[in-house]
Amino acid sequence: MPIEPPPTGEEIPAIEIVHLVKEFRILHTGSIKGALSRIWKRPEAVQFTALKDISFTVPHGQTLAIIGRNGSGKSTMLGILARIYRPTSGTVKLNGLGGRPARIAPLLELGAGFQNDLTGFQNVEFYGAVLGMNARQVKDRMAAIVEFAELGEKMDTPLHGWNDGAKLRLGFSIAVHIDPDILLVDEVLAVGDESFQNKCYRMIDDLQHRGKTIVFVSHDLPVVERVANRVLWLNDGVIIQDGDPATVLAAYRASAE
Amino acid sequence: MLEEMQEVWRFRYLLRQFVARELKIRYKNSLFGVLWSVVPLIISVLVYTFLFNNIVGKKIDNYSAYALCGIIPWTFFTTACLDSCQSLLNNYSIMKKVYLPREIIPLSYVVSNGIHLMIGWAFYFTTFYVIWPLVLHIHIPLLPAIVWFPVVLVMECLLVLGLSFWFAALNLYYQDVKYVLQTLFGLLLFLLPILYPAYIHLEGLHRRGMDWAYSLYLCNPIAAMLTGYRESLLQPVGPELWNNTLHKLPWDQLFAPTWTYVVASALTFLILWSGYTFFNSRKWQFVERY
Repeated sequence: MPIEPPPTGEEIPAIEIVHLVKEFRILHTGSIKGALSRIWKRPEAVQFTALKDISFTVPHGQTLAIIGRNGSGKSTMLGILARIYRPTSGTVKLNGLGGRPARIAPLLELGAGFQNDLTGFQNVEFYGAVLGMNARQVKDRMAAIVEFAELGEKMDTPLHGWNDGAKLRLGFSIAVHIDPDILLVDEVLAVGDESFQNKCYRMIDDLQHRGKTIVFVSHDLPVVERVANRVLWLNDGVIIQDGDPATVLAAYRASAE
Repeated sequence: MLEEMQEVWRFRYLLRQFVARELKIRYKNSLFGVLWSVVPLIISVLVYTFLFNNIVGKKIDNYSAYALCGIIPWTFFTTACLDSCQSLLNNYSIMKKVYLPREIIPLSYVVSNGIHLMIGWAFYFTTFYVIWPLVLHIHIPLLPAIVWFPVVLVMECLLVLGLSFWFAALNLYYQDVKYVLQTLFGLLLFLLPILYPAYIHLEGLHRRGMDWAYSLYLCNPIAAMLTGYRESLLQPVGPELWNNTLHKLPWDQLFAPTWTYVVASALTFLILWSGYTFFNSRKWQFVERY
């Protein structure tokens, strides 16, 4: 496959985050009765700040890993980048290559977005649409998606007979064929057999070479070492360290002991 | 609001996929496919016609047409409201992971149920304007008022959409909204002019000097919608036939006054506007629950 040279870093970065704060007000869910009783007993507003004044910039072509303990804010960070959460304050700018609007593809954890009652093909249409493809793109890329996922005949059967590995392969295949400017990955690369994992890494290499930006969250430090070229360590919603993988991972490992 | 609507338009392929998914799942592995949106209608009309003719003991010509004319829009109304009420919870995993204009979710359930509504009306017209005249030699006249039929149809869809935005957003915070609705709909089946025309309430209320209550009843958008369908499709039947304690009302009183339709339409637009505004004001907090 011909490889385009990685773009030079002078242009607009892929991700610009300035003074980002994300607070969650813990909403009361429950019943109408509960709501009525709260009129008399007003509870204190429960609020917590998941991200406290975060600023960083990611140039195009970089692969950023976000690490940290549970509850450190890394999933919230990914949610902000996926535009699922609106920032409480601060700005988030996502830019495509050459100043186009960014195409962002989240690689979802197993199950999210898949419809067990639909066949593999129907799921590609549905999931592709969920991830922002239009009818033509789905049609044009169907063959490539099916080929990459190596599912063959299975594609005609409904998903409830599939194993997790097959679903993951299909999900990954759809996500990378969106041709995203920014790929968001949440803890999923560890699933699948070794040959498919190797294929995923090759695909990631390829995306990296084509100047795509990847942000992923992981607890799996060897994967981080293998894939990332920058690591952001979060703790309690604050950036502890931000730098090259070797340095940050060494500090992170030291702190965990 | 305009911006949000443009965003929905940009995601129209996703909307289509949501609707297609609903239809595929509903009809999966089913030999009869589309027939299944008609069979429940036939069964309920048979049941109500039997009850009406044999238990209530009334003989009204073509009662099944009167009943079906209420049951088709009412079935759409209730299923679309209940489906969209539950829609955000059913698609929570998608909402939590991917950006999409979230109003597409309840909207898709209104559209997929709207397709069943169209199938229901197609069934109505073929039954009473093709099968009955040909097979049973019973002719139901086409009224000039049928020109209002598409207007009523559009108003019903707007009303359902507006309510769906309200119910979908509220049900995320109070999960018993759905049960309240189910109970309410069971009650409304008898309170609203679904199985009978609105004007049978007129005389009783008039006798108690409560003409205003009858007008209020007709201003209710659901009652107006049901009455609108019936007036555009069927000749009124004298109230004494529905209930012999009622006397013959003058012909013009069998029709709802125009101004009540105007008020009901205004209320429909108000519900739609407020529902969409409320939904939009909350939609970014939908996934921020712990």
